[in-house]
Amino acid sequence: MGAVQMLALVRDTFRESLARKIFWGFLGCSTALILFFSLALNIDLVEGAMAAVTIFGQDVAHGQLADVQLIVKRILGAVAAFLFTAGLFLSIFASAGLIPTVFEPGRIELLLSKPVSRTRLLLGRYLGTLAVIGANMFYLVAGVWLVLGAKTHIWDPNFLLAAALALFAFAVILAVVLAVAVTSGSAVLATMVSYFFVLMSPLLAQHERLAPLFRRQWARDVMKWLYYAFPKVFDLGNMARLALEGKAFTTWMPVWSSALFAGLMLAAGLWAFARKDY
Amino acid sequence: MTPVIETEGVAKHFRRAWSRRVVRAVDGVSLRVDPGVAYGLLGPNGSGKTTFVKLLLAAVWPTAGKTSLFGQDSRLPAARQAVGYLPENHRFPTYNTGFQMLDFYAALSGMGETERRRRAGELLELVGLADWADVRIGKYSKGMLQRLGLAQAMMHRPRLLILDEPTDGVDPVGRRQIRDILGALRRDGVTIFLNSHLLVEVELFCDEVAIISRGQVALSGRLAEMTAGSGYVVSAAGAGEGVRDQLRQQGARVAANNGVVDFHFADRAGVNQAIDALRESGAEIERVARQHSTLEDVFVRVVSQVAVTPAKEAD
Repeated sequence: MGAVQMLALVRDTFRESLARKIFWGFLGCSTALILFFSLALNIDLVEGAMAAVTIFGQDVAHGQLADVQLIVKRILGAVAAFLFTAGLFLSIFASAGLIPTVFEPGRIELLLSKPVSRTRLLLGRYLGTLAVIGANMFYLVAGVWLVLGAKTHIWDPNFLLAAALALFAFAVILAVVLAVAVTSGSAVLATMVSYFFVLMSPLLAQHERLAPLFRRQWARDVMKWLYYAFPKVFDLGNMARLALEGKAFTTWMPVWSSALFAGLMLAAGLWAFARKDY
Repeated sequence: MTPVIETEGVAKHFRRAWSRRVVRAVDGVSLRVDPGVAYGLLGPNGSGKTTFVKLLLAAVWPTAGKTSLFGQDSRLPAARQAVGYLPENHRFPTYNTGFQMLDFYAALSGMGETERRRRAGELLELVGLADWADVRIGKYSKGMLQRLGLAQAMMHRPRLLILDEPTDGVDPVGRRQIRDILGALRRDGVTIFLNSHLLVEVELFCDEVAIISRGQVALSGRLAEMTAGSGYVVSAAGAGEGVRDQLRQQGARVAANNGVVDFHFADRAGVNQAIDALRESGAEIERVARQHSTLEDVFVRVVSQVAVTPAKEAD
């Protein structure tokens, strides 16, 4: 019964994202990007080495790139960077509306009257939103990967790892959206708080460099603790970059500490939801 | 016999933001609804009816007391397995078609896909929305939404239906249709808990009633007993002023209408004296009957009595 309920909740989220044009908006952006790479980008190979790279017929390599491997990595890097910046911002903006709609008066009472635990109800919506964004990310990543692979015959699996990291970063931030949406019921506040965490991430990642700017030790300590406590979207982006460059990760700390943060946010959201009156 | 609904001193107090004042929306309500009964919950606006229903369905948590459905704590999801609910002021997601909406809520009740498809078709037919099955419900009228909401509540064949203002916005034909559907469910042994401010509807449909006012049960019991006789009436044609005055002096309340005069008496002795006096005066007796209160009479009397007590807000 649990699987039937979960599937229904995920499917309902999908349906709502389709009706509210969220899904189609994402799909349109992703398709535009895939078409850009498939139509505008032209790579001429001669015996496995790059002879020319043109975008809309303009030579962009200027003879500086040694081989096709490098340009493919740069293109994949650009897509990964898109996922970690604009993609993440768009995803938060789109998903922040999907979670609070469940708590609307007249809708939530009926959901709560069903033999579904509140935890399952909220997790179903969380997974549904994750599935909506994940499906679009998969479409974009797989599309670009296939187009570039077909043009260059280079199939870099690290790109898929970079995309998985982007989806993970979104899952972490979506936990913030969920916790804020449950406690406040406001999509706007949920969006603002999520953007705050994303924007703080590159700043806190520089905590060692910024520490000398603070005169007081406690201020330096606070910055350090915030870095460890907050989600590390910026560091996850760096890990994606390292993956694309074929370099080994120096640490997995950004992954597990962000997962811990997401776990705490989810637990806080579920705890608040379980106690709230509707 | 395990009651379908049982509450023991259930209370819900809301604390106002930035204030120490507490609003006692529901204040120690104890009710018992047995299987197969059509139970009406009545009360003026803001009396705590909807909060009480939400307490039953675990949409709000009690401040005190217990609520159980089919003998199980109603806060447990399993207790709501056999419950169908139609909320007041519902907002069904408008992106669904009628069929998708039924399918979604039935899936949340744990129904398998094949059964959902079959049952949805059957119920859309029953509530007269078969032709609208594939139309988004954003295009439905209020009455159609109520009928769809009722179908939604019936999808998983519940043994208890909790209906909050089920005929709100429905035209007279639709109301009759809903009553017929509910009547058929009752014959099948389904317990129906009706929260409504339409007294005529409750009177037509329910076996038992509770009147809730200011968060407390002001009166509860069998409807027939509540509205049972409180006096007698003798109706006569051709009763002149003389006999009218005579019976007035004997304590009758007199009301004339289209040549027929009604004499109301509190007891049987007054009726017998009136019959004798009317015969002597040459009046024709049309009717002798025991008087019944309407539910509206009972409701107004009970609510008025409660209204004279101080408001239940506490510091």
